[in-house]
Amino acid sequence: MFVLAFLGKRVLAAAVTLLVTSFLVFSLLAASPGSPEQTLLGARQPTPELIAALRAQHRLDDPFPVRYWHWLSGVLELDFGRSVRSSREVVDILAERLDVTLWLGLYAFVLVLLVAVPAGLSAGIRRDTAWDRGVTVTALLGVSAPPFAVGLMLLSVFGVGLGWFPVFGAGSGFADRISHLTLPAVALAVAGVAIVARQTRAATMDVTAKDFITFAEARGLPRRVVLGRYALRNSALPVITSAGLVLAYSLTGAVLVESTFALPGLGSLLVESVSTKDIPVVQGLALLTAALVIGVNLIVDLCYLGLDPRVRHAGGV
Amino acid sequence: MLDVRDLTVHDGRSRVLVRGVSFRVGPGETVGLVGESGSGKSLTARALVSLLPQELRSGGSARLDDTELLGRKDLRGVRGHRVALLMQDPFTMLNPLATVGTHLVESLPGRADRVEVARRLAEVGIDDPAVAGRYPFQLSGGMRQRVALAAALAKDPGLLIADEPTTALDVTTQRDVLALLRRIQTERRMGLVLITHDLRVARQACDRVLVMYAGALVESARSADLDAPAHPYTAGLLRSVPSVTHRQPVLLGIPGSVPAAADVVDRCPFADRCGWAEPACTEHAPPLVDLGDRATACRRHGGIDLSPPELAEPDAEPVGDARATLLDVADLVKVYRSIGLRRTEHTALAGVSLHVGEGESLAVVGESGSGKTTLARAVLGLTDPTSGRITLGGLDVTSYRRLRSADRARARRLVQCVFQDPYSSLNPAHTVGYTLAESLRRRGEDLDVESEVDSLLDLVGLPASYAGRRPVALSGGQRQRVAIARALAVRPRLLVCDEPVAALDVSVQAQVLEVLRKANRELGIALLFITHDLAVARQVTDRMVVMHRGRIVEHGATADVLDAPTHPYTVRLVQSVPDAAPHTEGEAHVTQ
Amino acid sequence: MIVRALSAFALGLVVIAALLGDWIAPFDPGAQDLAGTAMPPDAAHWLGTDELGRDVLSRLIAGTRTALLGPALVALGVAVLSTAIGLLAGYRGGWVDSAIMRAVDLVYAIPPLLVAIVVVGVFGGGYPLAIGVLIALSVPADTRMVRSAVLAQRNLAYVEAARTVGLGRGRILFAHLLPNVLPTVVANLLLSFVGALVGLAALAFLGLGVGTGAPDWGRMLAENKGLVDLNPAAMIGPAVLITVVAASVTLLGDRLYDLMSARGRDAGRA
Repeated sequence: MFVLAFLGKRVLAAAVTLLVTSFLVFSLLAASPGSPEQTLLGARQPTPELIAALRAQHRLDDPFPVRYWHWLSGVLELDFGRSVRSSREVVDILAERLDVTLWLGLYAFVLVLLVAVPAGLSAGIRRDTAWDRGVTVTALLGVSAPPFAVGLMLLSVFGVGLGWFPVFGAGSGFADRISHLTLPAVALAVAGVAIVARQTRAATMDVTAKDFITFAEARGLPRRVVLGRYALRNSALPVITSAGLVLAYSLTGAVLVESTFALPGLGSLLVESVSTKDIPVVQGLALLTAALVIGVNLIVDLCYLGLDPRVRHAGGV
Repeated sequence: MLDVRDLTVHDGRSRVLVRGVSFRVGPGETVGLVGESGSGKSLTARALVSLLPQELRSGGSARLDDTELLGRKDLRGVRGHRVALLMQDPFTMLNPLATVGTHLVESLPGRADRVEVARRLAEVGIDDPAVAGRYPFQLSGGMRQRVALAAALAKDPGLLIADEPTTALDVTTQRDVLALLRRIQTERRMGLVLITHDLRVARQACDRVLVMYAGALVESARSADLDAPAHPYTAGLLRSVPSVTHRQPVLLGIPGSVPAAADVVDRCPFADRCGWAEPACTEHAPPLVDLGDRATACRRHGGIDLSPPELAEPDAEPVGDARATLLDVADLVKVYRSIGLRRTEHTALAGVSLHVGEGESLAVVGESGSGKTTLARAVLGLTDPTSGRITLGGLDVTSYRRLRSADRARARRLVQCVFQDPYSSLNPAHTVGYTLAESLRRRGEDLDVESEVDSLLDLVGLPASYAGRRPVALSGGQRQRVAIARALAVRPRLLVCDEPVAALDVSVQAQVLEVLRKANRELGIALLFITHDLAVARQVTDRMVVMHRGRIVEHGATADVLDAPTHPYTVRLVQSVPDAAPHTEGEAHVTQ
Repeated sequence: MIVRALSAFALGLVVIAALLGDWIAPFDPGAQDLAGTAMPPDAAHWLGTDELGRDVLSRLIAGTRTALLGPALVALGVAVLSTAIGLLAGYRGGWVDSAIMRAVDLVYAIPPLLVAIVVVGVFGGGYPLAIGVLIALSVPADTRMVRSAVLAQRNLAYVEAARTVGLGRGRILFAHLLPNVLPTVVANLLLSFVGALVGLAALAFLGLGVGTGAPDWGRMLAENKGLVDLNPAAMIGPAVLITVVAASVTLLGDRLYDLMSARGRDAGRA
């Protein structure tokens, strides 16, 4: 019962956020400099027929709310309109570019989890040791390292200097793609690793100082039970939250990393579309991003629900 | 069975925290380890189960039958199996993400079934097997402590170390859990080390009592022999415990505060606060001298008279005479409604009426959840009641927010407060002088702030130099006295005290209580004194109301209520006070 | 600790460069030398030259002031706004708090830099608009932190005692609560600085930042990306510089937070 109410509330909040975002995204066209026709025409020849067609297609003669409704109902059927630059369906362009970004994002996220959680956990358990101090300082430096700067450094050292990894392109086939995307994924992962490692360390320290850990040890429970069932599960919640945040923010990083490594993904698409004022594509990208961020947050909420009986039974943290 | 010899605990910089503690525990014997904060009693307990904080090291020897407990690398088969630890706070001791059943199953040896879990729960007095499926947050403090006890005993250890197992519980629950511990211990013929700050609890529940002070053992005696202490500190501790049976003319504490163990390694740790100290006491650390049945670390033992001072004539118990009403609370109701998904209602006050006369002192006693703190907050205008009326000095102050600002300012000058937690009572960012001056300026008179600060500090027994200190540099008792000074600065006519000494060690409680009595008697300030401690209430108040679940169940002159309680709840409360009488066999078999 | 000393030293150098830029730069940052383009580092040009033969080191030094000024503006703006709103929401509670927190929750999850890219790209507002967007979108997260710091304090006895003594709301907020949430505010201020430093550099790197010509760290990254074979120092220089400044400020913030919250905290509390 409470579980349903909890879920219902979160889904509702997500829907409201999406709706507000969609409105702001739609307003982008109206608010962008120049008239909507000019924006939609782009570099094309302004023939009266074309202008008339555009006006009809985007219902430019209707009042703003009607236009918004029309656009929104299109969006719900995955119709974001056509690109100004290439006249192709925005959905098709997005689908085409999604591939590389998805690979990149997931690759980086796997790196984050594989490196950050063990590092943070071990540092938190063996606190104030040389290992802990090393992890802490490295993470502190990593948090502030801009992905493009890291990318360029990796590029010149491991790509150009040592020649270990290809420098351009996304590769095709699994192995080839992995080798092409390794440097970008590392550049994207650095900040995330640092954030999640710091959070894991803090959560571990917090939990291992708790009475229930001491009491578990006092009862003679085996170390694996104390670390696993007690420490790991109890520190999981803040770690999941930070991991979700990292995942949601990885699209920002993808913009920078894809530009650095000239990868044909959503990030570089955004930069291209923004600089050519290809508004329909920008709108599609913005909505996709918002949906992604909100989706990740919902997943985090679900994890809370699964892990913490207090949320399950009382409907609130 | 357990033989501890010369146990020491050091921190990472080899500063001493516990030095040279030796004692024995036999099978079926209960030994109480008593001391105030900083005495090292909890560290001693933790050292015995090798659960000291990471940076601390232990030395010496502790043999359990023929197994050495200290300095072991491999604790398998020892910790939990032969010696177990029960901790203080039932609210933090259990894994919040695991059910009661999981706690037991993972602790029980071998494969445990439902029947075994139910049997173990029944042993600690939980007869409802459905409890196994509950999570800790769904249980009360007393229930959690029982579950924790069952989990600690799951592997049937021969020795249980219980570190303040009842301190976080309400007095009535405290009594039940203590009786339960004794019963199980007797049934299992288990050794029990009971660590407590409360000498009364130790005497009642233990065969032998060890008194620790600043990291050292200062006295060891059978419970029955404690009436004639052999160490001045024990004598001081006994004198500091307020009486629940009569009102003492002067509350005796121990002057000063506990030193750090590392600062007193080569001298008598108690010398600075001791009335019998001689220069020789500070020359070297006195050893624990075995006197047959007992042992003491006082080098002057035998040469000084530590018997309690002639019991001065008990103070005349004041009676609640008719005085002009200062505070009138009529039919006060406070309902908390939670907002959010699960709309719940919690009635904190269900129609409370009381009054306090000018210069009178009224105790409000009750356990947690009785509504006593909500009442205090409503009177202070920190929360608005749902219905009812509060009149203060002729002013309707039911809702401070609705008062005109001049009236609100007047009300604020009429009533002031002292809170429970001395550590959050003062703003850590400001000096004592700043805090007091700020309060003085609210009095609304032209005054010489600096000299007023000095006289306020003097009033609460602190040197004027403390005005320049920040709270960090003050002990708990000193902070509480500053908090009282801040309240008195406004010259209120009513002082609301919410458990003002509950967080303080017993030897410094007296200083704070004396200041409050002085404010009441000499300055004529009325007190609304919220407390769970009946003995403290007896020392400070004229009249008393007893609260239970948001209602007043009994009221009358303090002496009458405590000497002849009529309501069943009050009777239970009065019986729950650990009495001064030492424990005898047979008495321990009280079941709940 | 060595890392701490190094970062303090680096910050010192950068501040000096920002103050004395023109005097200590070895060359005119705008002077082109078409005979010596994309030269690797040598005794005269410590970081070599770029495609137009301009001295990379001098351009880095010349860009320091803008590189620090923008983030400083963002950090200050965010700190002032988030502290004011956070104090208000946390202390007032009730509907004011609910309304503010609803609004915060709505924008909390939006990545500020992504929005800045879109807005600055579409509207072409350049640096000032970027600063505005970064301020507006960084305020919610910091407001949230200030508010929870206030919530942690507001029910402590000293705040209730201040109310009982009859102090006004302003006095309680600024004389009592503010000093105790200051560690959070200062830590946030420095983190906002780092975020804005990286963000503004990123915008410039993507070609959405300051106008052409003026030396800018982020722009230099983009301009010199093609020199990865000829003079990698021209590209690595600004990359390392941005990273070092960002890391040093983060380190400083971490340290300040620890120092400030340790002051006044009870060491002896059980």
